[in-house]
Amino acid sequence: MQEILQYLFSGITNGAIYAVIAVGFSMLYNSTELINFAHGEFVMLGGLGIVTLWGGSLLPLPAAFVLTVIGVAFVGFLLERVALRKVSRSQPIVLVIITIGASIFLRGIGMLIWGKDAHAIPSFTKLSPMDVFGAKLMPQSILILAIVLLVVVGLHLFYRKTLTGKAMQACAINEKAAWLSGIPSDQMVLLAFFLSAGIGAIAGIIIAPITMCGYDMGILLGLKGFCAAMLGGLGSLWGSLVGGLLLGISESLGVGYVSSSLKDAIAFLVLLLILYIRPTGILGIKEAKRF
Amino acid sequence: MKPECFKNRLYYGIFLPVIAVSGFVIDSPYYLQVLTFIGINTLLTIGLNMLMGYAGQISLGHAAFYGIGAYTTTILTVHFDFSPWAALPCTLVVTGMVAFLVGLPMLKLTGYYLGMGTLGFGMIVYVLFREWSHVTGGSSGMVGIPSLSLGPVSFSDSRNYFYLVWMIVLVCIVFCQRLIQSRVGRALRSISDSENAAKALGVDTKDLKLKIFILSALFAAMAGFLYAHLVTFISPGSFDFMVSIRMVTMVVIGGMASIWGALLGASVLTLLPECLHAFADFEMVVYGLILMLIMIFMPRGLTRGLMDIYERSVSKQI
Amino acid sequence: MSAPCLNRFEKPPLLRADSISKAFGGVQALLNVSFEVSEGTILGIIGPNGAGKTTLFNVITSAYPPDSGQLFLDRKKIQNRKVHELVRLGIARTFQNVELFENMTALENVMVGQYTQTRCGIFAAAARLPWAVAEEKQAREEAMALLSFVGIAQYAENRSGNLPFGWQRLLEIARALAAKPRLLLLDEPAAGLNAVETRRLGNLIERIRHQGVTILLVEHDMNLTMTICDRIIVLNYGKILAHGTPEEIQSNPAVMAAYLGTSEVSPLIYD
Ligand SMILES: Nc1ncnc2c1ncn2[C@@H]1O[C@H](COP(=O)(O)OP(=O)(O)OP(=O)(O)O)[C@@H](O)[C@H]1O
Ligand SMILES: [Mg+2]
Repeated sequence: MQEILQYLFSGITNGAIYAVIAVGFSMLYNSTELINFAHGEFVMLGGLGIVTLWGGSLLPLPAAFVLTVIGVAFVGFLLERVALRKVSRSQPIVLVIITIGASIFLRGIGMLIWGKDAHAIPSFTKLSPMDVFGAKLMPQSILILAIVLLVVVGLHLFYRKTLTGKAMQACAINEKAAWLSGIPSDQMVLLAFFLSAGIGAIAGIIIAPITMCGYDMGILLGLKGFCAAMLGGLGSLWGSLVGGLLLGISESLGVGYVSSSLKDAIAFLVLLLILYIRPTGILGIKEAKRF
Repeated sequence: MKPECFKNRLYYGIFLPVIAVSGFVIDSPYYLQVLTFIGINTLLTIGLNMLMGYAGQISLGHAAFYGIGAYTTTILTVHFDFSPWAALPCTLVVTGMVAFLVGLPMLKLTGYYLGMGTLGFGMIVYVLFREWSHVTGGSSGMVGIPSLSLGPVSFSDSRNYFYLVWMIVLVCIVFCQRLIQSRVGRALRSISDSENAAKALGVDTKDLKLKIFILSALFAAMAGFLYAHLVTFISPGSFDFMVSIRMVTMVVIGGMASIWGALLGASVLTLLPECLHAFADFEMVVYGLILMLIMIFMPRGLTRGLMDIYERSVSKQI
Repeated sequence: MSAPCLNRFEKPPLLRADSISKAFGGVQALLNVSFEVSEGTILGIIGPNGAGKTTLFNVITSAYPPDSGQLFLDRKKIQNRKVHELVRLGIARTFQNVELFENMTALENVMVGQYTQTRCGIFAAAARLPWAVAEEKQAREEAMALLSFVGIAQYAENRSGNLPFGWQRLLEIARALAAKPRLLLLDEPAAGLNAVETRRLGNLIERIRHQGVTILLVEHDMNLTMTICDRIIVLNYGKILAHGTPEEIQSNPAVMAAYLGTSEVSPLIYD
């Protein structure tokens, strides 16, 4: 009981982070039908950004947090403006390769700035772990969960309540019609990149205290996030949350009860099983084919 | 003669002499090995191009088949003392069966979901290579893979291996070209344009996709076999996720749905890292940048892109 | 064509639909649709937008399974088969939104249509076996003949996506004919064609029928439908509203009402 609870806690914590990364993938997919393979690199930049700004005690935590998120979001903005804007949308695979190129580029930059070594920073809070039925619950985990919920609920409200959010959804549903009704779809795509990169940075920041941050951390985190987004159903906000948590929990249970070395394999096995049963993810809409 | 046909002859006219001459002229084993690697990567790329370029089905886990090919022949020759040539058919059969079993459920998926599914498969196979230590040697890999020889000809000589690999590449190019121009090839291409229409004309698209999936896995297995007996040492790192991504990149950079494009893409992306060593720490940055630039300015791949530039310069002169 | 017309209806029906129903969520696209088509005739299917015509085609070709009801081709049950199996049984179709293989030439498009008529596999193709080469040559000739039949032979080597729209429609018909169908389903073949092209299309459909092919024709162009169809069924909200010869349909007040929202007879129906 105590053991399983411990695994659940760590699973939920990791899962929440996967969920935030997945949300970034998903919202970008919604607006552009593009999977950004450089998304993991935003996470890396977020993590290493906070390592430098706060870990290097240049700034207090809130300022470092905001500055990192905005900085990384701006990188996402640049990626769209400089590399993706001009290429025609008709060929998704070309865009995907460009983002792969961008990810290698950003990873290279990360290596140049932060070197090849991994960095660590202390926990954001100084509180001591709580005891829940004998399992230890880290305050950091609660903080992570809170931030994740804030992000998801915030995005939900953004889509539902604000005009910009609604316009963005309209673009996602039918770009041409949205454009005809006066929504600047180009700017919406730009905004989507900005937001999704910012969200990626948030994921990087909250994961920084519980892992080692290095220039190559983005590969696996990006993959896990992509995996979570697909699990839940691409394009669905709540699906990303469900997918992330499912992935995190199955991973940590796998580590606990099967073998820690098989961790990655277990996560992807779960993915394959779910895709086998539901080819468009748990909350994904089944595409209706029309003739 | 039709222009397409002419172009094809032209490519053969460039390709065959270049291979023959470079094998003859180049003496450095290092350069010969780089060229041999280009050949092996070309095999991978041609196979994946059949699946991606022609049938329109993405795979982000093809390194798994490459790895299964390499590991199967390694295990058979090292643990069970098979001769490499006896191991080859076994390798192909094993890989083909895995591809069949994986492709059957997987090819139900479409688009990014197919990408994710194959990616997951690739990861699982990679973890298996890494963790199933008493069979695969774990993360440190396996050594002592015998090199190939055929009667008096020893392929541990880099020149001989170079010719062997490129002979096989040539056979595969001819195979694929004939296939693409045939009834099956047309059906295949029709799937990527409109799967619904293909079905409505009697093409069993599910079956055909599976066949091509297996075929491209067999190409990868062949490449894995050649790789293992070339370097005589393998480890899981040579078959990880980034290798799958690199294969896809080779296909797209060269030009989708073009067999000569596959050759070009494989050549460029094999040579590029070798040339970029000079940049030391900047290697990754430059590599990423080049990849982006090629795709931004030649979204249809290098073959078409270069062709467009050539045609533009010709028309300017007139 | 009046005299042979009479005994045409005495043959057993080639296709029989028996109370077919199909719903998409809350939309009842088809409800208890039953009809028969005799061999060698043209059955027109008309109805306002969203009446369920395309859905009917999709159900006949097994693209969707019907919720209930049965389909018989020559007294053989055909529902719940795979789409590609039905082609071998002799059903071919065209699509409302032209679905050509854009990146292939016109000739290649037609040759994909011959898929069920040829049998060269992967290894026969790679080895260039003599029979495969001969088969390919013959297929190519037949495909050319089909392109001439629909009148676009001169564009055989053009990329089909580059053809003008009217010819794309003709190419789709040629491609469907390449499967040597007994039953041909045409979904709005005249949509987007001008008057001259439409007349030529009518002529083409007649010629196809004279080769013994039975045709189901969905078409909004009333002139075309009324002149070439032997019988017509009218669908409205998924139900069969009327069924009869063109003359009967034209004088049916319920049909007028469905089309125009009133019971007045108006020449507008001729568009
Ligand atoms: N795949 C689908 N998913 C959901 N609803 C569908 C689907 N296909 C058709 N429908 C609905 O079924 C109804 C009938 O559509 P159908 O396409 O058969 O009409 P139609 O008679 O062909 O119209 P048109 O003349 O515009 O082509 C419509 O309300 C349509 O919205
Ligand atoms: Mg319709």
